[in-house]
Amino acid sequence: MQNKAIDPVTLEVIWNRFLSVANEQQDTLIRTAFSTIVRESQDLACGLFDTKGRMIGQSLSGTPGHINAMATSMKHFLAAFPPDRLAPGDVLITNDPWQTAGQINDITITTPTFKNGRLVALFANTCHSADIGGRILSAEAREVFEEGLRIPIMKLFERGEPNRVLMQIVRANVRQPDEVIGDFYAQSACNDAGGRALLEMMEEFELDSIDPVADEIIRRSEAAVRAEIAKLPSGEWCNETWSDGFEESIVIRCALRVARDEIFIDFSGSSPQSTRGINVVLNYTHAYASFAIKAAICPDVPHNEGSFRPVHVSAPPGSILNALEPAPVASRQVIGHFIPSAIFAALSGAMPGRLMAPGADPIWLSVWRGQNPSFTLTLFQVGGTGARPSQDGLNAVGFPSGVAGVPAEVIESLSPVVLQRRQLRADSGGAGKWRGGLGQLTEFSRRGEGKWSVSSIADRTVYPAPGLLGGQAGATGEVSLGDGTRLHAKALMDLKQGDVVHINLPGGGGYGDPFERDVEKVRWDVIEGYITVAEAEQKYGVAIRYTGRPDDLVKLPAKWMIDTEKTAELRRS
Amino acid sequence: MYRVGIDIGGTFTDMLLVGEDGTAVIGKTLTTPGDPSLAVENALKPVLQNGAVKAQERGTLIHGTTLVTNALIERKGAPTALLATSGFRDAVEIGREHRYELYDLNLDLPKPLVPRHLRFDIPERMAADGSVLQPLDEDFVRRLVCELRDNGIKAIGVSYLNSFRNPVHEQRTGEIIAAVAPHIRVSLSSEVVAEIREFQRTSTTLANVYVQERVADYLAQLAERLKTIGFAGSFFVMLSSGGIATRDTSSRFPVRLLESGPAAGALAAARAGMLSGHQDLLSFDMGGTTAKLCVIEGGQPLKTHEFEVDRVYRFRKGSGLPMRIPVIDMIEIGAGGGSIARIDSLGLLKVGPESAGADPGPVCYGQGGAEPTVTDADLVLGYLDPRYFLGGKMQLDLDGARQALGRLGQRLGMSVEQAAWGIHQIVNENMANAARAHLGERGKDPRRLPMYAFGGAGPVHGCHVAEILRLPALISPFGAGVGSTFGLLAAPLAFDFVRSAYSRFDQLDWQFANGLLNEMAQEGRKILKSSGLSSKDISYERTADMRYVGQGHEVPVALPDGMLEPRHLDEIFVAFENTYQALYGRKGPEVPLEVINWRVVARGPQPEMNLQLRRDTANSGDARKGSRLAYFAERGGYIETSIYDRYALKPEMAFTGPAIVEERESTLIISVRGRARVDERLNVIVDLTDAK
Repeated sequence: MQNKAIDPVTLEVIWNRFLSVANEQQDTLIRTAFSTIVRESQDLACGLFDTKGRMIGQSLSGTPGHINAMATSMKHFLAAFPPDRLAPGDVLITNDPWQTAGQINDITITTPTFKNGRLVALFANTCHSADIGGRILSAEAREVFEEGLRIPIMKLFERGEPNRVLMQIVRANVRQPDEVIGDFYAQSACNDAGGRALLEMMEEFELDSIDPVADEIIRRSEAAVRAEIAKLPSGEWCNETWSDGFEESIVIRCALRVARDEIFIDFSGSSPQSTRGINVVLNYTHAYASFAIKAAICPDVPHNEGSFRPVHVSAPPGSILNALEPAPVASRQVIGHFIPSAIFAALSGAMPGRLMAPGADPIWLSVWRGQNPSFTLTLFQVGGTGARPSQDGLNAVGFPSGVAGVPAEVIESLSPVVLQRRQLRADSGGAGKWRGGLGQLTEFSRRGEGKWSVSSIADRTVYPAPGLLGGQAGATGEVSLGDGTRLHAKALMDLKQGDVVHINLPGGGGYGDPFERDVEKVRWDVIEGYITVAEAEQKYGVAIRYTGRPDDLVKLPAKWMIDTEKTAELRRS
Repeated sequence: MYRVGIDIGGTFTDMLLVGEDGTAVIGKTLTTPGDPSLAVENALKPVLQNGAVKAQERGTLIHGTTLVTNALIERKGAPTALLATSGFRDAVEIGREHRYELYDLNLDLPKPLVPRHLRFDIPERMAADGSVLQPLDEDFVRRLVCELRDNGIKAIGVSYLNSFRNPVHEQRTGEIIAAVAPHIRVSLSSEVVAEIREFQRTSTTLANVYVQERVADYLAQLAERLKTIGFAGSFFVMLSSGGIATRDTSSRFPVRLLESGPAAGALAAARAGMLSGHQDLLSFDMGGTTAKLCVIEGGQPLKTHEFEVDRVYRFRKGSGLPMRIPVIDMIEIGAGGGSIARIDSLGLLKVGPESAGADPGPVCYGQGGAEPTVTDADLVLGYLDPRYFLGGKMQLDLDGARQALGRLGQRLGMSVEQAAWGIHQIVNENMANAARAHLGERGKDPRRLPMYAFGGAGPVHGCHVAEILRLPALISPFGAGVGSTFGLLAAPLAFDFVRSAYSRFDQLDWQFANGLLNEMAQEGRKILKSSGLSSKDISYERTADMRYVGQGHEVPVALPDGMLEPRHLDEIFVAFENTYQALYGRKGPEVPLEVINWRVVARGPQPEMNLQLRRDTANSGDARKGSRLAYFAERGGYIETSIYDRYALKPEMAFTGPAIVEERESTLIISVRGRARVDERLNVIVDLTDAK
């Protein structure tokens, strides 16, 4: 059937089926995974590739840095192991930061699928590993060699037989061997699930090859992205975005040029690569840049090789967004996650009134390590997203990362760490006609005696998320101890027995003039405790008071009154 | 002994009664939202009194209801508060901290059932091992509950961290609430769903208590009413899993009824499919308030433990409120005969999810409804006969419907007919999109699945929805308008039990495990015997939820019969690995196993379903009873369309669309391209493939 032209109905059905195959792959991964990073936080990506290594489908969830970086890794896999060196039952692995997702903790596992002895597809997934040895995941390393064990592209399984030598070496080098090896198995099972579903489907549709369908999918997706780009005015826009950095602030300069139906993004003028592990490899830069463009202009176009093509990304070698070996890269997300905001800031010139204000941007990581009993726990946390042209930002929701949090109960079932609080952070959303999303207040302590430490990898503790078009900035984040001591947001710290660590996440930027915010919305924000009475008055010019008893525990909406005259007066000034 | 199934939907209450000899009687009546048990009386009383059932004969009544789902979607529960561990009242709002859709910058998240000002931090704390880190501040709870009581709060959900390991703080809180405010309803998360993950557990608990009063009141009223109309016998409620529970269990855990009516519908489709030789189907059940779609595979509906209600985003997973309950895997959307049509802020026509329900109902019901609905559109399009609705029991007000559609059409610059056709099309597209997402997520090719269409509005919209999805055929059963009730009677009496008891498998306390399993089996036996079954008719299915140590998701493993002993270790281990491999394609690493939950299903025999449909209006004359004008866009508008009498259709009859087939409880619209024939079970099978 591959010789015939594909009719649009069949194409639609097969295409949907590819996506469901990728979702089956992801479902298996989450259900068989051992680490909380994969099974709870879903720091993963799954995808289906044709025999040329072109991505043709991805699973529903996942995180952009993985999805797109995994897609570019496939050419390295196929260069190392061309089809004639692959057999059924083979499974390939690597964590090389420059070939895959830019971080040595990210393990990419690729499985070729054969039909009648011929390679018909590749399934791959990238997951953040619970541990990869080294000095523990942090931003502190000075070279990639300190960051852990590097596995070149090699076979994890050969014709179904596990590579026991590799597994022994990994086991001996990591802090949580059962979790790490368990996830390798889950990642392999996940590709198997995809392969099985694909073969069933090829049987059903009597396909010997998926390559012609892949051509068509890629062609249509590329055309759809080009059509959307062509609707933008041609021209060039520039902007800059600031990160706290490690020892000094980092600037990302973004020049965005729309030329007919293509976009060129260049990061010349950005800071040079850092001495510490916050450097970004070009793969990862490319991943978040193409994500940003897709989200901004064509969120509905399916994500595959074709949709990457019209977006060109460059950054000078040796700069923070194109770091060269042996730069440390373990915490590349704290810089990499600024890329979409940087691009939106530039792109808003081409599409005014359609993009959101910057939010908390980088996801925050904290890696908790301790003894009695021994534990290593990687947690992801998120602040608020930026306000949008006609909606508030989202409270405690990640952007651009698609990673989820870990339930307190899961944290506590796996370690002596106690999460004492996880709540929305009042007044942290940037004021605006549309309010920025709120960050969170969280507190950590430990039970029992024993050593413990935390490696915090956080940003926006110095530079808040700016507002847009008259909106105000969100609150900055804070990492501190219970006694108020501010800690370095990107440091590995030994903790004392009774220490309580406060991790307070930043809010998103506001959109538009806060005095234009609907008074009733301001009142509701006060009722719900999203903003305080003082913030309502000072930033929004709305005077609100509670007419019940001050010590009421239950404060119903009916008792919150707006002082209309005073509000009018405040808003006049 | 006779058996009767009663399904209360948002708009209609359906009944099917089957006597000992298999004679069946069907009834359909408007749901009475003020007191839904009134509708049960309206449906059942005539049957009990007209001699179909002997006066003293004992019966078994099985009841399905969408009340819970509707109350959640429409946010019509009691004013509810949440008591949470200090620092965690936002767990239901913070949720999973991620976006269910990566690329859409404008997405929104579902709103928690309880707003933030009614969620409270309670000083108390349990550790993960069940030890107390901070004792419960009982005085604070007492003071807070007094204030909640005085402020008119009617329901309280209590969800403390790690309560699935040690529930005493939740239990003590429950006691305090009972003492201070005995009329306030309480759900403890450790009772509703004793499972790890605070967000999902709290969300499920809140839903449970939010609807508890409505459900308990209603079941009590229903029991009372059944007594007064002379029903003698036992009374059960269908669960979302397709099992059946007592009234007491149902009132305490209404969240387990979430998809009760729809579950029955899916069971009915599965059973009818088996009988007519279609093991794989797309079940399509469209009632007055919602439409339900479910994939039937190998004669069984798909099942799951994860469920979401009220999805806010294009039916996307993750965009609804999570519920941890055993449930038949289906998708439900706010699209029904009562769905209201409006014009949105962009000037576009939208249909649903708001429903006019039964009261006031669509404009054409003449009960004060003013906003046009899908049923009003169907009436104006000629799909429904204003004089033959519910077999003529209810007159529909065609002029009223036309006027309401005229007002809507005027604002859109459309004629009455165009507005009606627009509503019909939009609601069909909404349902087809939902079906596409549901089928896609499960990797099913719609072109291979015939649609099984039932529910009051299902046969009206089935052909058009099936055509959008390019399904090959549509099957509409006899009695389609009360289709779900067949499922109520098709299900065996079955009770699900679960006990959470974590253990390393190689360190298992066998005596303890046997104790749990026996306890659950005994409870099941007791309930089933009290429902009239004898011990020899009861079977038990025993499973353990197991996983490799360190994983987060379990695999159900079937356990051998009889006492478990250490000699079963290898057998169970092998059973686990086989199940695991069958599910995931390969075994896991060399890591020990752990057991999380023990489950027992106690089940009676599968009931016989050899129905003798009573055709008291059986018509031996001409099946074609007339014609009327009905709207078919392919034919450019209204055309004279043949009307067939469902009760006169006989096996092997065939006719082509466009056509209308009328029975009392529903109307089947056969599209222009449809070719219909009647099979020996009196199903109408419409072939929708292009007849070239």
